[in-house]
Amino acid sequence: MGVTSAIPPGTPRGLGRRPWVLGLLLALLGLGVFFSPILGTVSVSPDTVLRILLHQVSGGALFSDPCAGASVPASGCAGLIEIVWDARLSEIMLAVVVGAGLGISGGTLQGVFRNPLADPFLLGISSGGTLGAAVVVVFRIGVSEQNLLLPLFAFVGAIGTGAVILVAARSRFGSVETLLLTGVALSSFLSAVLSLLLLYSPSGSLQVDFWLLGNLGSLDWTQDGIAFGVVLVAGTLLATYGRELNLLQLGPDVAQSLGVDSRKVRVRLLLLASVTTAAAVAFTGIIGFVGLVSPHVVRRIAGSDYRIVLPGAALVGGGFLLAARDLSLVAFPGTLLPIGIFTSFAGAPFFAYLLFRRRGASTMGAP
Amino acid sequence: MTGPSDVALRLRGVTVRFGERTALHDIDLEVPRGQLVALTGPNGSGKTTLLRAALGFLAPEAGSVELFGNEVLSLSVAERARRVAWVPQEENPREDAQLLDYVLYGRYAHLGWLQGETTRDRDAALRALRAVGLEERAGDGILSVSGGEKQRAILARALVQEAPLVLLDEPTSHLDIAHQLDFLTRVRELSRERGVTVVSALHDLNLAARFSDRIVVLSRGRRVADGVPSDVLSEELLARVWGVVADLRRDPRTGAPYLLPHHLVHPAPSGPATFLGKGPVHVVGGGGSGAPYLRVLSEAGYRVTAGALHLLDSDLETAESLGALTAVEVPFAPIGDEVRERLRALLEAATAIVVAPFPVGPSNLPNLEEVRRLLGRVPILLVHRTAGQEWDFTGGRARALENELRDGGAQTVTGTTQVLAALAARPVVPVAQ
Repeated sequence: MGVTSAIPPGTPRGLGRRPWVLGLLLALLGLGVFFSPILGTVSVSPDTVLRILLHQVSGGALFSDPCAGASVPASGCAGLIEIVWDARLSEIMLAVVVGAGLGISGGTLQGVFRNPLADPFLLGISSGGTLGAAVVVVFRIGVSEQNLLLPLFAFVGAIGTGAVILVAARSRFGSVETLLLTGVALSSFLSAVLSLLLLYSPSGSLQVDFWLLGNLGSLDWTQDGIAFGVVLVAGTLLATYGRELNLLQLGPDVAQSLGVDSRKVRVRLLLLASVTTAAAVAFTGIIGFVGLVSPHVVRRIAGSDYRIVLPGAALVGGGFLLAARDLSLVAFPGTLLPIGIFTSFAGAPFFAYLLFRRRGASTMGAP
Repeated sequence: MTGPSDVALRLRGVTVRFGERTALHDIDLEVPRGQLVALTGPNGSGKTTLLRAALGFLAPEAGSVELFGNEVLSLSVAERARRVAWVPQEENPREDAQLLDYVLYGRYAHLGWLQGETTRDRDAALRALRAVGLEERAGDGILSVSGGEKQRAILARALVQEAPLVLLDEPTSHLDIAHQLDFLTRVRELSRERGVTVVSALHDLNLAARFSDRIVVLSRGRRVADGVPSDVLSEELLARVWGVVADLRRDPRTGAPYLLPHHLVHPAPSGPATFLGKGPVHVVGGGGSGAPYLRVLSEAGYRVTAGALHLLDSDLETAESLGALTAVEVPFAPIGDEVRERLRALLEAATAIVVAPFPVGPSNLPNLEEVRRLLGRVPILLVHRTAGQEWDFTGGRARALENELRDGGAQTVTGTTQVLAALAARPVVPVAQ
């Protein structure tokens, strides 16, 4: 029948799928990861950094003495390798993983709630995580193991909050509006509990504030590994739900008439997004705007098909957080600011732009 | 002998309640394969609820819903989607998508986990778009097309879903008249070509009569009429179910019945009625006796109805010149069942009845019999007859009926002025809006 007519030219932006954008984003992110270790709080020359990276990546085959010609600290070349490979690269990988987790969670939640302003912290996850972290700080639980206990408590707090929403979602009254309102109410409640807690322990508030601002400091590969594992598994599962999310945009009933078990899918997506977000924030604290902004960036450049938006938001989110880290090091050499401050600086104007820009057809409609 | 799978949709004793309200009451319905059924009824009669029950969106409190022989709720969501497709009244997508992709959403239930759409799926989608006349717009965004085009795209999506049963919920209610005709014509053609069973909620009775093989009428959650359009549509049904007085005509080309709605019955059977004028007041007359009352009432702002009258009667001429609805019998023939039924609808719609001093013979005696039925329900004004004038040609039966009316509470009046005064004195006129 020869019905193979191509899509007419002049297709508006935001339409169609442009999967090649994913490849481009991945390549850009790879370059970012490779070159970012050049920046850091300690000055190491770029060529030394790159030599160390290639030396490490090749398992020592390349550049048998990567530090040749560089000003080596007292600890010798091993000390430099530790700075570049262990400190900087682990920090960079964490930025990428956390950003990716927030990005894909944000995309998922915007789809589930059919709301362009949804973000991973919508469900009270941030408040729950903060409360969990505050409990560790205020009650001085296991001071020596705080590196792992604090993330653990934060994760439990975050996921516990998400669980309340999930229970609501499974109930007969679990409409999207109910869930949103439950999240808002829960956030307020948990913030009140947190304020009460800090009132009785003023010394803890500084540390909690630091957590609230989000930071990538004082990390090691173990934490990376945990975050990476959880985000990778949950994020990959999320990415397989692109088609269902596309259909859910037509409303739960229409989606169901097309074969999507709307309620079941919604519960699964909320669960996976909660786990991803909780794992991401457990190690870094609250990092705003990444989850909100990343999916919209993908929609602008690659269309609003969720099969592209979800993996794309992960790549953009990872890149966003990495760029924030790099920029903060360029702007304030020698110090690593809490990264949440930076993302908010960049994210807030973008957020305003989303709100006020023409209601074009290229991204999600008005809420 | 019909096997279970010859029945596309079967409802048995289906009852659905929303809190206190019973949306569907013990509904039985059987739709054979290939039939084009219009589901109609006033707002809130349960049309949408019936469709939602058929789609498995809600679980009935009692009874069963079967799709091609299987209980709908026992099927998985994907299995349901392969058996029944849905075209909602309106769809508000939140993300833009090319029409082609939008139509491809219909393939979801046929694809495996993570399986992408193949060229065959895309070709099917393009064919479906061509079938609804949207092939050239395949690359346009769903948010940028018109309402009519969107409905057609949704129809195309239902087609690629390849479900043997398609349910439509007021698919044309947001479309203008041209797009309504266009859309329903396409639905009918596609149903015929592909043997697809179609059940569509349609509140427009004329469209329903024109496009369906069968009309099922729901009223307050019950099935009150069911059959081919020419059998189902009647003035009596309109008055009873919708509370509307209408003229039933027949399309001279297609033979399909159609209705000219006239005004509301008082009170409307479902929900509060609002009136744009006073009345209607029904005048029973004949031989010129009713004409003065028709004229005076009409002048005073009442809507009037008249009958039953014989063709060529001068009262009929007056009534028609005033735009009144009438019940008409051929000259000299006794009032037949059909005319009597129409008279009954007109009388039931009236807020008051005026019985003019008309000569009564065996052929028009049913007029008085029908008026008697409404005794005590509607104010009846009996115009005083001048003594000495012979008027009863029924051997006393007409006189007896008039006495009965008088004894039963009908008010005797003399002349047009008294009729107007009596009507003004009685709060028979509903509050005008």
